[in-house]
This record gives sequence, structure tokens and C-alpha cells, in this order.
Amino acid sequence: MEEARSDVVIGVMMTIFGLIGLWLASGALDVEMSIFGLSLAGFACVFVLGLVRRHFDRAEALRVAVEASHE
Amino acid sequence: MSEALAAPRAAVVYNDDVVKKFVIASMFWAVVAFLVGVFIAAELSWPALNFWPPYVNFGRIRPVHTSAAIFAFGGSALLGTSFHVVQRTCRARLFGGEALANFIFWGYQFFIVMAALSYVLGFSKSREYSEPEWHIIVWLVIVWVAYLVAFTGTLIKREEPHIYVANWFYLSFIITVAMLVIVNNLAIPVSVFAAKSYSAFSGAQDALVQWWYGHNAVGFFLTAGFLGMMYYFIPKAANRPIYSYRLSIVHFWSLIFIYIWAGPHHLHWTSLPDWTQTVGMAFSIMLWMPSWGGMINGLMTLSGAWDKLRTDPGLRFSVTAVGFYGMATFEGPVMSVRTVNALSHYTDWGIGHVHSGSLGWVAFITFGAIYYLVPNLWQRTGLYSNRLAAWHYWIATLGIVLYITAMWVAGIMEGLMWRAYDAQGFLQYSFIDSINAVHPLFIVRWLGGVFFLLGALIMVYNLVMTVRSPRTAPGLAGRFGAPLAAAAGE
Repeated sequence: MEEARSDVVIGVMMTIFGLIGLWLASGALDVEMSIFGLSLAGFACVFVLGLVRRHFDRAEALRVAVEASHE
Repeated sequence: MSEALAAPRAAVVYNDDVVKKFVIASMFWAVVAFLVGVFIAAELSWPALNFWPPYVNFGRIRPVHTSAAIFAFGGSALLGTSFHVVQRTCRARLFGGEALANFIFWGYQFFIVMAALSYVLGFSKSREYSEPEWHIIVWLVIVWVAYLVAFTGTLIKREEPHIYVANWFYLSFIITVAMLVIVNNLAIPVSVFAAKSYSAFSGAQDALVQWWYGHNAVGFFLTAGFLGMMYYFIPKAANRPIYSYRLSIVHFWSLIFIYIWAGPHHLHWTSLPDWTQTVGMAFSIMLWMPSWGGMINGLMTLSGAWDKLRTDPGLRFSVTAVGFYGMATFEGPVMSVRTVNALSHYTDWGIGHVHSGSLGWVAFITFGAIYYLVPNLWQRTGLYSNRLAAWHYWIATLGIVLYITAMWVAGIMEGLMWRAYDAQGFLQYSFIDSINAVHPLFIVRWLGGVFFLLGALIMVYNLVMTVRSPRTAPGLAGRFGAPLAAAAGE
């Protein structure tokens, strides 16, 4: 339960950070802010994909464990 | 004894993944920090190296070295060990689940990479140890708050009634660093889309806030946090309780009360009011007592177990670190005395002092913890090679000795040359005379850095082989996670 709640909270946070990164990059007045904004957006995407992957990995592990217990 | 106390408790599944990640990151950043340090030491010895593209000149690379050493290497070690210690001393899995732990790890690494990149691109606030521009600091604060939530959440849900002293040190490090970073970085951005801001403070007040931050970054990041490491890993490695738990509590409260006032000693003989300088000096001298109390507590924990220094290379690093802690915390108050500071300030003595603390104390106590952690976290029987660890120890120690003695001699020479007058009352030496005089010592300093880097590379090889070699096949289950007695009789 704690894992699922944590995934949702951090996932929503990272989505917002990713959007902020895109917003910063879109209006950047210097190269530093442009790099930071795009990097933040990229980081957020990769992180959220990682959350999704771990969610399905856990579900798969649970399914395998349940099937094994029935055999 | 009640039945509840007598009943066996369920095993706790700790989050060791995040600790492993921080240990690996710490080792990686250690090599980066030492390598960049060697390069900038070479730039000071052979200035022609500065004429490469601007991205690698001394002014841009120096904060890469300091940030990599303090925040990347030291910070990763602190975050990783704090998560290890808080889980085991509280008998509780890390609060916030895997996602929060991963956010803290990757978010912190993102901060480090973004900060380093901004330095080489020429973006800096020019505040020592606080160079990143406002947007990177905002990100750091977000990650730090998440760290505070994970750490305090674990403390709150603990199954042990007592909060072990190492956690007090770690918690003071987390809370105080948050306060320091926020206040010192209060600034007005030119635009929300620009990586440029101006400090909210001005003049002498700005300088005072910066050195209140700067000295307490030393006090709470590089001292309190690593004392948390000392209070857990030395008793664990020595398999002895802390010499005096009562002394550790006195050490904690006196250290955190006194340290926060000592910052003005960085601004002796400046436009800062005299009374403020005196406050900084007086509190710095008072720091002798808690610092040495802690050092004695760390060393005396080895009572009855000194023989382990012959067989446990990690413990040898830890104990030597405590010796360097005692030495650096003796030297610091001496240098804070205004008359001594008149000689030492702006010279390489300060650089020597900082490195006796950072290499001797911070790096060595971290190496000790990591030599303990790696075989345990990866469930190996021991280190791949104790002999290589011993080589690391002696090469690194020799490197520190070369470094700090060269800087002491260079610093005192510079101080004396800058204040020398001739019979007519003119300065006897120009600045470049002092640079020429210390040039051989700069080369010795570079050599010391090369030794230290070499030792770190040996350690990385040894630890990689510890994890991968069949020689250290698994078999130590049960040793890990054993409860740590807080004091004799508990």
C-alpha cells in the first residue's frame, strides 16, 4: 500500500517537474536555463517510465507468486 | 519483563537498494573529485594548463572539484549511510517506499550533474561552496525536503524506543543544512527564465551570511553528518559499544549549539564589526571541548579491541579519520584567533587545514564505512583483498601528509612574506615573489593529490572485485543487521 501511494505521489510530482522543465526551456534567456529545463523534462520522463516499469514488475512478481502457491 | 517485550519480533525487510546506489555513486564521485583536484593542482603548478578552452580553466573547474568532493562524494556517502543507519537502529524499513528513495537518489545526482555543468559553462553565484544559481538551489531544496521526509518518517515509525545517537547527528545535519542553504541563497532572479540572480543581502551583511553558511557547511555537512557515521560504523566494526553514550549526547548538544556561532572567524580584519569577529573567535575556541570529547569517545571505543586494527583495514581508516578529526579541530580554533589569522588568512595554510579535514577526516571515515558496507550489502564473505586495502591506506596517508605539510609551509611562508617590510617601510616582496617561493610546494601538493587519487582507484578496483570475484562468494548471512548496543549494559 505504501509503495503504491508513494508511486502515485512521486509520479504526479515528477510529471509537474517535467512540465516546469519544458516551460523553463521554452522561455529560456540563456543556454544554462535551456539545458536545465530540457534536462529536467528528460529526467522526469525517464523517472516516470521507471515507476511504470517497477509497478508492472511488482504486479508480475505477485501473479507468479500466487500461481506458484496454487500449484 | 512484559510479554510484548519477550515476544520475537518480525524481521524487517530493509531498503538496501538505495544504500547500494549511494555507495556506488559515492565511489564514482570520489574518483571524479580527486581527479579534478589533481588537475586544478596541476593548473596552479603549471599555469599554461589554464590556456585550454575556458571550460577547464581554474576558475570554472575549482567549484567542480569542491562540489564533487563535498556534495557528490561526501553527500552521497552521507545520504546512503544515513538510510542504512536509520533503518537498522530503528528496526524499520525506510519511510516513503521505493519511489521516494529513488527520487531522493536520482534527484540528488541530477542536482550534482546540473551544478557541475553550470560551472563549466560559466554560470556561478560566486559564493564559496554555494555556487549553483537559483534554479539549481530550488531543485536541491525540493530533494532535501524529500530526504527529510524519508528520514524523519522512518524515525517516527521506528520499533526501537530509543533514537540512537548517530541519528541525532544525521538529523541535525539534514535540518541545519536545509536552513543554511535556504537563507544563504535568498536571492532575486533577473528573470524566471534566466540563470542569474542577485543576493537579497548586501555588503558586510552579505559576507556574514555567506560565512555563516560556509562555516556551518563545514560544521553540519562535513562534521555532524560524518560524526553520525563515526558513531555507528566504529562500534559496529569494532564490535564494541560506544565508550561513553553519555559523552556522545554531551558531544552532540554542545557541538550543535556552539558551531552555529563560529562563522565570523572567516571575516577577521574586514569591515565586519569587531565584536562580531570576537564572537566568532570565542565560539571557535569553545569548540575545542566538544570536538575533542567526540574524538576521545571515538578512539576509546576501541578499548579492548585495538588488535582489530591489524586485521580490519576499514576500521584502520575510521580510527585514523578520528585522529585527523582531532587534529583539524585543534588547528581550526588556533587559526580563528585573530592574531594567528592575521598571518594565516588568504594563504595556503587555509587550504592545508581544509584538506586535513576533508581528506583525513571526511574521506577516511567514509572509506572506513564503505569498506564495512560493501561486503555486507552485497552479502560477501569479506573484502577481495585486505592487502590492497592496506596499500590504499598507506598511499592515501602519504598523500595527505605530503599535501598538508606542503600547504602549511607554503601558507606560513606566504603570510610572512606578505607582511615583511624593508628599512624604509616598503613591502619587502611583491606578490609574484611569494608565488615563486611556494611553487615547489605547489608541485608537492599536486603529488600528494596524485597519491590520494591512486589510493582511491585501488579501492574502487578492490570493491568491484569484492562484489564480482568468486573468492568472496556469499556466506555471511546473519552478520548484517545485527542490533547495535548503544552502550555497555544496554
